[in-house]
Amino acid sequence: MAPDRSAEPKFLADGCEGRTIRFGAMACEAEIRIAGVDPTRASGLLDAAATEVRRIEAKYSRYRSDSVVSRINTAAGSGAEIEVDTETADLLDFAARLHAQSEGLFDITSGILRKAWDFRSNELPTQATLDGLCRRIGWSRVHWPAGVTSRRIALPEIGMELDFGGFGKEYAADRAAGVLLAAGVRSGYVNLGGDIRVIGPRLDSHGWSLGIQHPRDIAATIAGVELRGGGLATSGDYERYMEVAGRRYSHILDPRSGWPVDHWQSVSVVAPLCLAAGALSTIAMLTGTRAPAFLEAQRVAFIAVDAAGRVHRAGC
Amino acid sequence: MAATDAGTNRTAAGKVNDNSVCGSIVLAALALPGLLPRSAVADNAPEHALIEVKTEHYQDSQPGFQRIKIDEPGIYALIPIGQHWSLSGAAVYDAVSGASPRYYTTKSGASSVHDKRYSGDVEATYYAARSSYGLSYAHSEENDYDANSVSADAIFSTPDNNTAFNVGLSAGRDAINPTNRIVVNEHRTTYAGIVGVTQALSAVDLVQFQVGYSTGHGYFSDAYKLFDNRPRRRNSETASLRWNHHIATFGATLRANYRFYQDTYGINSHTIEVQWVQPVGQSWVLTPGLRYFTQNAAKFYVDPPPRAPFPNLPDGSTSSLDQRLSAFGAYAVSQKVEWHITQHWSTDLKGEIYEQKSSYRFIGQGSPGLARFQYYQVQFGLTYRY
Repeated sequence: MAPDRSAEPKFLADGCEGRTIRFGAMACEAEIRIAGVDPTRASGLLDAAATEVRRIEAKYSRYRSDSVVSRINTAAGSGAEIEVDTETADLLDFAARLHAQSEGLFDITSGILRKAWDFRSNELPTQATLDGLCRRIGWSRVHWPAGVTSRRIALPEIGMELDFGGFGKEYAADRAAGVLLAAGVRSGYVNLGGDIRVIGPRLDSHGWSLGIQHPRDIAATIAGVELRGGGLATSGDYERYMEVAGRRYSHILDPRSGWPVDHWQSVSVVAPLCLAAGALSTIAMLTGTRAPAFLEAQRVAFIAVDAAGRVHRAGC
Repeated sequence: MAATDAGTNRTAAGKVNDNSVCGSIVLAALALPGLLPRSAVADNAPEHALIEVKTEHYQDSQPGFQRIKIDEPGIYALIPIGQHWSLSGAAVYDAVSGASPRYYTTKSGASSVHDKRYSGDVEATYYAARSSYGLSYAHSEENDYDANSVSADAIFSTPDNNTAFNVGLSAGRDAINPTNRIVVNEHRTTYAGIVGVTQALSAVDLVQFQVGYSTGHGYFSDAYKLFDNRPRRRNSETASLRWNHHIATFGATLRANYRFYQDTYGINSHTIEVQWVQPVGQSWVLTPGLRYFTQNAAKFYVDPPPRAPFPNLPDGSTSSLDQRLSAFGAYAVSQKVEWHITQHWSTDLKGEIYEQKSSYRFIGQGSPGLARFQYYQVQFGLTYRY
């Protein structure tokens, strides 16, 4: 007559665990799930986390004229220095470090290349167009003095732009998780369009099972990882791309040439923070053959799919 | 590859300790405020332990005859230990009172029974990256029946976590000393194995197929029943198919399960069960369920004539008048209500009504006059997680 605990296999995920909120933000579908929280508090907590995501979206969107990024971009070439708040300064410092560590491959001034690449047109940009844009790329020319208290930034040329798109979603996922952690939440995750930050393990202390999308079959996964904490982010050549004359051109663009990279179909990285995972996966895509060594030196776990569809993995 | 120096900490990361377990970019991200509150930086985030108190009331009946009543308080605890281990245990104390089992029309050979049963089990589980391994021991004790068993199980999942395989083995040895001393120091030994595969067919469909085999030898008879002399070997095979389907429109999950059983006593049985798991609002979950069961009779089952004396059974021949070995069908209707009161506390109440009749059977024949058998069961649970 003892309760039958074997009725459900242990690994059957229960669709009912925790509370979830889904909303659109940062041009993707966002999902935040928390468990082990007093039900009367859950809605408020989820709303607070979603609000944090929207705050970052508004603050750093280049589509909003009132955003910090738009103010900086508008002043490009004018000689005016724009003073930024601490949060923005921290992110710019982080971007500077990524630029240095990636030998210039991760460059938040490279966003202007999108002006040449219209992935719905199925037409390749001319080399002249790309050359013209590439001349306006270069974080090293941005006026961003380190080690000063009043933080002011200036873009030296008209037409130069900053774009936080390379890590905005990942940063927002971590910040939303930070809001929930600070409120005492210890179980759940934040998923912003596939960039995931795990707040803490499931209530039974198991990790959350996170699937990694197959880069060529949208309905399939190539692998899964079980995370009890930390971040998982994937960069792939499949989010935005076009095929011209049988060749795939993706949105992962090399800031030096303006052309897409094609060594990897996708790179997924597991790191303590989503922000680090996202930056490292993007840099890995750009570094080509050197990606595995680079990621190992950064001491993160990764799963990468090469151009032939072979899976390379380390640490997970 | 010379290019690896892209990852070494040679530029702005001069402060970074090379022996760190984190790479320079990870450290740079960790330095940003608001992403990882200090309180959560600790290596081991708080684990969740679970303590559950259950109490169950069981009462069965045949027409005009209240049979066994059981009140069963129990406790269950699950304690994670470190990152990879958990330890769980359950203890149950039964107070059984009422009439001894009655078979068919025979008038009360029913002597009154007062019995106590203690049972407990403990399981240690080790969780690896894509597998888990459990080892458990169970013991139960009544004044006439002691049971001990050990079991081991393992679950493996594929790298994409879409498929999982499970395998389990168990061995049990029971000691039987009925109070009427019809037999003394009898034993029963059972070995069982099970293998299964679980496949995620889609994001909302999970299917599991399992087959099991069990072989047992020893004393299987019911010492308290007349003319109960069952074969000393009983082997059985089971196959089950389970389907969980999540319906996003209702936020609900449908659980369907079919099970087939056959054994060397000649019993075949089929069980079909469906449950609907429906969350309501923020803190309630309702789970109604329906189960149908049917079996044919064991080869040696004897249907006693309603009023005549029992048939002449040669000495030593196998026979049983136990209604559980007859052909019958049964329906069970259940309803479970769960209430998640706070982050730490939840409670649930489950009721089940069961009715068994020979006329409900779908397979097998015989036993047209077998008395209806019913039970109801109410279970209350209180769970604390921390």
